[in-house]
Amino acid sequence: MEIAWGPLIYLYLWLAGIGGGAFFSAFLIDRFTGGQNKSLVKLATYIAFPLTSVGVLLLIADLGMPTRFWHLLTRFYVTTPMSLGSWILIFFVGISVVLIILWWWLATRQSNFLSAVERFLVWIEVVFSALVMTYTGVLLAVSGQGLWAGTVILPALFVASATSTGLAATLIAATVRGSRDASRELLLKLSEADAIVILLELVALIGFMIWLATSSVAGASQALAVITMGGLAIPLWLGVVIVGLLIPLALEFWGWGKSIATKNLWPAIITSSTLVLIGGLILRAVIVIGGQVG
Amino acid sequence: MPKAAIVDISKCTACRGCQVACKQWNDRPGVTTTNRGTYENPPHLSADTWTRIEFYEVGKDGGVEWFFRKHQCMHCTDASCVAVCPVGAMHKEGEFTINNHDWCIGCGYCVEACPFDAVHKSHGGGTAQKCWFCFDRVTNDMVPACVKTCPPGAIQFGERSDMISMGRQRVQELISAGKPNAYLYGETEVGGTGWLYVLPERPSLLGLPDAPRVATSMVIPQWISGVVAAGVIAALPFYWLFRRKKSLEGSQSNVGGER
Repeated sequence: MEIAWGPLIYLYLWLAGIGGGAFFSAFLIDRFTGGQNKSLVKLATYIAFPLTSVGVLLLIADLGMPTRFWHLLTRFYVTTPMSLGSWILIFFVGISVVLIILWWWLATRQSNFLSAVERFLVWIEVVFSALVMTYTGVLLAVSGQGLWAGTVILPALFVASATSTGLAATLIAATVRGSRDASRELLLKLSEADAIVILLELVALIGFMIWLATSSVAGASQALAVITMGGLAIPLWLGVVIVGLLIPLALEFWGWGKSIATKNLWPAIITSSTLVLIGGLILRAVIVIGGQVG
Repeated sequence: MPKAAIVDISKCTACRGCQVACKQWNDRPGVTTTNRGTYENPPHLSADTWTRIEFYEVGKDGGVEWFFRKHQCMHCTDASCVAVCPVGAMHKEGEFTINNHDWCIGCGYCVEACPFDAVHKSHGGGTAQKCWFCFDRVTNDMVPACVKTCPPGAIQFGERSDMISMGRQRVQELISAGKPNAYLYGETEVGGTGWLYVLPERPSLLGLPDAPRVATSMVIPQWISGVVAAGVIAALPFYWLFRRKKSLEGSQSNVGGER
């Protein structure tokens, strides 16, 4: 069995997921705290723009005819996730560039009009961030491969993983930058939010497996056996479940104890977030490879 | 009238003349392979091998029956490769599914979408490759190269309605001859296929999906799944932790920070 989509594709899915998830989670935190965490939204945008851009470059490099990538921008097919996804990525990256320029401009100048444009674009960008996260799952799910097409849970699983990895990237950046972007209280809450997203991701992963096990789609249960009991079982159980989900969850539960000393909090957050990022990459590798060898 | 080809599995002798004819007519290079303990060779379809004979052993009454099935693009009416192609390179020319190699970007989405594993991309890059039904021959009143060469006449080409009639009659003969699972495959699957099979056994025993699905058939539920997940995540961790706790904190006296 030949593998048409390899490392460049799962790296791309991972990076785009982090980008979308970082903006999505930062926006929600800012909105639900009455606009008190705008710096987090900016931080997330500074994460999302380079990561998603690199992801797009990987996607182009993976093409059999990379110099023809522009053909994608001459068509718009709403039922084709790759066509729709290309446009979603263009808008997501494009708006992030415009936002970065606007923030740079507004840092030293006053403009009611540009401030209104900035607020509007942030709202548009969050829609595209959710679409980027979802699209990475839909891209695989709309296929003939049993592991990907045998369940409708895959996009939900990727959205949960994207949010978790995006939040982890924001947590690392906020922790490294210190109190300029996030107070100790906020870091604890972000960590708490990440733990709940991880729990939801676990639920989605279990649902994904149960659905596939009972799916009538050709190759679904066989592909599930490959990732759970075959050659990809160790990356799945050790890399995704233990390293990427359960250990970060334990660390974040530990971090919730408000008595934790600040000097211990930051290493705990950095460790758990790094593990979440590693787990997110392994998840995509297992799903992408497993779908093609199953 | 649409054309079609039909493969009678019960007549195939696995001479693999069709494989050679395909490579010769379409100028596809040979593939270096190693002995895997079977005459089934090359091991799989690829960018350079557009058709091959697959060997299947089906256990029956304590013994084994050996079947040979020609594998190639099915030229589906509802073609998944066409449905997912993001640039419109893979397209239908009447009943034939053709890739425009001057426009294809080699993204590999058609490779992943095909329910029959019939489209392939070279590891070295390039465009998606597959059987094109010898389009240059069939549009010039010739039959495909594989049909022309088949010694036992296991492959026929002609008007689709005639092929279906022939297939139905052959299936009845097989059922009468003690093959109760005989089936004409491709008459209705994925909108009807350009390649039909007379199968002596159930499709899944001969490497074919019993109920092939068009890749885009679940596209709306798949999008809904992601968007609902995003909504649940927005509502649960973020609203619950930040909005709700903020309002709770607002109604209580602040006991001070942790710093």
